[in-house]
Amino acid sequence: MHKKDVFTDLIREHQALLYKVTSIYTYNKEDQEDLFQEVVYQLWKYFDSFRNDAKITTWMYRVAMNTAITFIKKKKRRPDSVPVADVFINQSDYKDDVFEERLKLLYLHLKHLNTLEKGLIFLLLEGKSYKEIAQITGLSNSNVGTKISRIKKKLKTNMTKH
Amino acid sequence: MELEELQSAWTQLSNELNHQKKLTNKIILDMTKQKYQNTFTTITKYETIGAFVCFAIALFVLLNFGKLDTWYLQVCGVLTLSFLIVLPAMVLTTLKRIKNIDILNGSYKDNLKHYLKTKNRLLKLQQVGIAIGFMGLFFIVPVTSKIISNKNVFLTSLKTEQYVLFAITMVAMVFFCKWAYNGYLKVTRSAQELLQDLE
Repeated sequence: MHKKDVFTDLIREHQALLYKVTSIYTYNKEDQEDLFQEVVYQLWKYFDSFRNDAKITTWMYRVAMNTAITFIKKKKRRPDSVPVADVFINQSDYKDDVFEERLKLLYLHLKHLNTLEKGLIFLLLEGKSYKEIAQITGLSNSNVGTKISRIKKKLKTNMTKH
Repeated sequence: MELEELQSAWTQLSNELNHQKKLTNKIILDMTKQKYQNTFTTITKYETIGAFVCFAIALFVLLNFGKLDTWYLQVCGVLTLSFLIVLPAMVLTTLKRIKNIDILNGSYKDNLKHYLKTKNRLLKLQQVGIAIGFMGLFFIVPVTSKIISNKNVFLTSLKTEQYVLFAITMVAMVFFCKWAYNGYLKVTRSAQELLQDLE
């Protein structure tokens, strides 16, 4: 199979992963599309350097999250002016009002976290173990545990406010 | 909203997204190519506008060519037309060639070789354009002066303010050319880095 075909199959199969990463780090559709394109490009760029000693999704999470962090740094000068609520109503195709409302709340809470916290909670929500999160982020297992329990506390405090 | 609710909303979102496979192979490959082509979008936009302005002026000169009544004004007219038509057309063609390098299909070595060759051609064209732009003042001014105000500058002496205006134009051109050329260098360098990254 040609490299190009393997790559496109991989992106198609894991597009939900890319969608989710790009959605938590951006505040409007335009930025999300830019970041999505940047992530696809970075994955293509480093595709040859992927070694089978790690799971392909672990590698994808790592590249996507690193790209998102760089993207945020570049965009820092621009204020986050678009209200969170607008973003997912426009982006989603969901017809379920209750689910839409829950999504809005979910993203509202996530947007209050800093870059590292967002990344960690994202991986936790994705069902990753502390060990896998450590592999993806480069943090130690114990550090992941400590940080996640702090984030949970922070989230809980935030949730009681809203 | 509780933490458990966050998790369940996320899981539901994941399930919904897993059912929506919107991306096609073409979109994915276009995204990768687009990234490379975007590097040249701004420069192409300005060059295209510039080229249209040049072509419009060339058409104006061509329609009024009959007013150039001496052999040396006609030579100036031909040089002006060549400058206004050939150079912008060559720049646009070269930019198109650079943008169309197939970064996904060609081998890295071939792409880089092709890119460097075309890039050198583009930068050389810019250098030639800058040089001719300065010389151009000496043949464009007589042509426009004759066509617009029916004055043969070779036979009339210029006033002091016209000399001053000429000097100011020259200085402004130096700064503008330097700025534009640096912009080209920056864009081509960043595109070259993108290509090298693909190794």
